Amino acid sequence: MNKMGTITGFTFKNKVKTKSFMVTTIVLALLISIGLNVPYFITLFNGGSIGGASSSNPVNIGLLSTGQPEVSEKLESFSAAQGDQAYRLIASGDKDEAALAADVEAGLTDGYLKFEAVAGQEFPQPILYSAEDVSPQIIASIEAALQSVKLDVVVKDILTAEQKELITTPVKLTEQSLSTDGSGAGAESEGAMSPINYIVVYLLIILLFTSTMMTGNMIASEITAEKSSRIMEILITSVSPLSQMFGKIIGIFMVGMLQIGIFGAVVAGNILLPHNRAVLGDFNMNLNDVNIAVIVYGLIFYILGYFLYAVLFAAIGSMVSRTEELGQAVLPITMLSLVSFYIAIFSISTPNILLLKIASFIPFTSPTAILVRIGAGVAPTWEILTSLAILIASIIIFGWLAAKIYRTGVLMYGKRPTFKELFKAMKAYKI
Amino acid sequence: MMNRLELKQVVKQYADKTAVNGVTLNVKEGEIYGLLGANGAGKTTTMRMVLGLIHPDGGNILYNGKPYNTELQQIMGYLPEERGLYPKVKVSDQINYLARLRGMNGKDADQSLKYWLNRFEVPEYYDKKIEELSKGNQQKMGFIAAVVHRPQILILDEAFSGLDPVNVELLKSTVKELRDEGTAILFSTHRMEHVEELCRQITILHRSNTVVQGEIKEIKSRYPREQVFLGTVGSVEGLEQLSGVKKVERNERGYLIHISQVEAAQEILRTAMTQTTVEHFELKEPTLNQIFIREVGESNE
Repeated sequence: MNKMGTITGFTFKNKVKTKSFMVTTIVLALLISIGLNVPYFITLFNGGSIGGASSSNPVNIGLLSTGQPEVSEKLESFSAAQGDQAYRLIASGDKDEAALAADVEAGLTDGYLKFEAVAGQEFPQPILYSAEDVSPQIIASIEAALQSVKLDVVVKDILTAEQKELITTPVKLTEQSLSTDGSGAGAESEGAMSPINYIVVYLLIILLFTSTMMTGNMIASEITAEKSSRIMEILITSVSPLSQMFGKIIGIFMVGMLQIGIFGAVVAGNILLPHNRAVLGDFNMNLNDVNIAVIVYGLIFYILGYFLYAVLFAAIGSMVSRTEELGQAVLPITMLSLVSFYIAIFSISTPNILLLKIASFIPFTSPTAILVRIGAGVAPTWEILTSLAILIASIIIFGWLAAKIYRTGVLMYGKRPTFKELFKAMKAYKI
Repeated sequence: MMNRLELKQVVKQYADKTAVNGVTLNVKEGEIYGLLGANGAGKTTTMRMVLGLIHPDGGNILYNGKPYNTELQQIMGYLPEERGLYPKVKVSDQINYLARLRGMNGKDADQSLKYWLNRFEVPEYYDKKIEELSKGNQQKMGFIAAVVHRPQILILDEAFSGLDPVNVELLKSTVKELRDEGTAILFSTHRMEHVEELCRQITILHRSNTVVQGEIKEIKSRYPREQVFLGTVGSVEGLEQLSGVKKVERNERGYLIHISQVEAAQEILRTAMTQTTVEHFELKEPTLNQIFIREVGESNE
C-alpha cells in the first residue's frame, strides 16, 4: 500500500502543477467572487437610477402643495415619521409648479410630486415629474406612503390608530408540516426545508455532479494518456493494478478536494465581507440554521458517490487507447450522472415522491436522491443506513470489476473492445 | 551460474489461436538471451508472460527458481517496445517515481538516476521535461527508467530501434556492462547484427513455435557454409565452370561466390592461385540474418 501512496502523491503533485489546473482554479475562483458580489452590486445600483440613492444620499423630490395642502401635509409628516428613506420630500411652501420645474432643471431637486384633483373622487391623482427615471423601489415606497395617506384621508377619524395599523399590516401565512413518520432526521423541528438547508442540499448536489464529471474525466483521460504513451506497461509491471487504480483515484480526488477547498474558502471569504453579510441577511438566511446532519451525510454520500463513479471512469479510461475516443466512451457514465442529477434537482421541492424513494436505493442515483430526502427531513434513519450500505457494497463490487477491466483493458490496444471482447480477453489473460 | 529465468514448455492460447506454443528457454545470470522472430511470432506475448502481465495456459515460468510473486516487481526491469514516459513531467520526477514504484527509496533513486545521466553524458536532462528531449534522448531516458533500480532480470524489447549509431554503441556498451554485473537480460530485436554481438544464446520463434534454439556458434555450425569471399589482385576467369559453384558476384574488392558444397571452396582457391595473387580468401559462416530468413522465410512459403 506504500506504492499506492507513491502513486497518489505523484498524481496529485503533477496534476496540481499543470497550467490548466491553475488557470481553471483561478478563473473559477474569480467568477465565484464576482457572482457572490452581484447581489451587493445590485443593491448598490438599485434606487440609483438617479445618482445612486441611499438613505445617506436620497433622491430629492419637491412637493407641490398648492391645491392639495391636506394630502401633501400628511404625506410629508408620514414620510418624516418613517425615518431614513431613499427619497426626501421637500416642502415647497408657496412655490408654484414652474418654480419647482426650474428647481429640477437647476439640479436642486431630482423631481417633484403634484396632486391633481380628480372629479368625483375624494383622493387626488399624484403625478411624479422627474428629469430622469426614478427607480421602481422609490416609486414603491412613495406609493406605500401615499396608500397610508389615502386611508387616512378617506376614513378620517372613523377608525382608531390601532385599527388603521391593523388594516395596513399585510396578512402572512405561516406554514407548519404535519410529519407522520416521526423518526425522520429532525422532521418535527424542521418542518419544511429551511432556505439555507435547501441551498446546502442544492449546492451539494451540484458539487457532486460537477466534481464527479470533472474529476472523473480527469481520471479517465489520465489513464488513457498513460496507456497511449505506453508508460502503462512499465507501471503495470511495477505495481498491482488495484493499487494503481485506487492510487490514481485518490490522487485525483485530493486534487478535486483541494479545488473545492479553494472555492469554499473563496465563498466563505466573500460571504464574510461586511457588505455581503447584510445582503445575506436580507435574503432571510442564517448560517446557524444549517442542519449539521445534512452536511455530514452530504459529505459521506458525496465521497462514496465520487468513488462509485470514479472506478467506472477508471475502467472506461483503461479500455480506450486514444484520448480522442474518450469522450464517446464515457458518454454512458455522463448520462448516468445526469440522470441522478436531474432526479434530485427536479424533486427537491417534492421530496416524498416515489421516484425519489426508489432512486435512494439505486447506487448511482442514491447519493443525490437520499441527500434531498435527508435535507427535507423525510428520510428515516433506516433508509439512510440501507442506502449507505447498498452504496458501499456496490463500490466494492464495481471497484473489483473495474480493477479487472482495468487490468485487461490496459493491455488491449487498437479499437475499443466491446464488453464481449473484454470478457473474452479477461478469460484468455486469466485475470 | 544460476538460472535467473526459466521458461518450461510455456503455452499461451488465445480464443482461436495459439500465440505461444511450448517455448522453453533459460536465461542465466550475466547472460543476454536473444528472442527473435518475425512480427506476430509470439515475442510480445512471451515477454508479457515473463513480466507476469498475462498467465500462461500451460507450462511454467520460474524466476530464480521460484514461481511468479509480487517481489519480482522489484527485481525486474522492462523497456517496452513503444517506450513511453510522461511527456509533461520532469525527467527527475518521473524516473524517481518509477524507481520508487520498484521499491527504491527516494534518495537511492535520485543517486541512481544521476549516475545513469552521467553515464550517458547528459546530466543536464535532470530538470528537463521529456517532451523537450529528442526522440533518441527520450529513448535513453526510457532505458534509464528500466534499469534505474538495478534489476536482476531485465527485459528489453527492441532496445536500439530508432537510435543513431553513436547512441546504439553507447547503449550496447551499457547493456554489456549490466550483463557483466550479473543481470540476466532477455533481449528482443530484429537487428541480427546486434544479436550476434551481444547474445550467447538465441531462440527464433516462428508462428508461435520455436524453430531455432541454442548457442549462436553451435547454430551456425549446423548450417552449411555457402559463401566464399575471394579478394585477388587480378581477375579470375572460369569460376562459374567449377563444380559446386552456383553463382559468382563481382564486387569492388573481389568476388562473392555462392557454393552448394563446401568442397568447392578449395577448388576456387586453387583456380584463383593459378591465375593471380590471392589477397583474401574466406569461407564465410552463415550470418544470423541468413539463418533467420532461411528458417522463417522458407516456412512462410
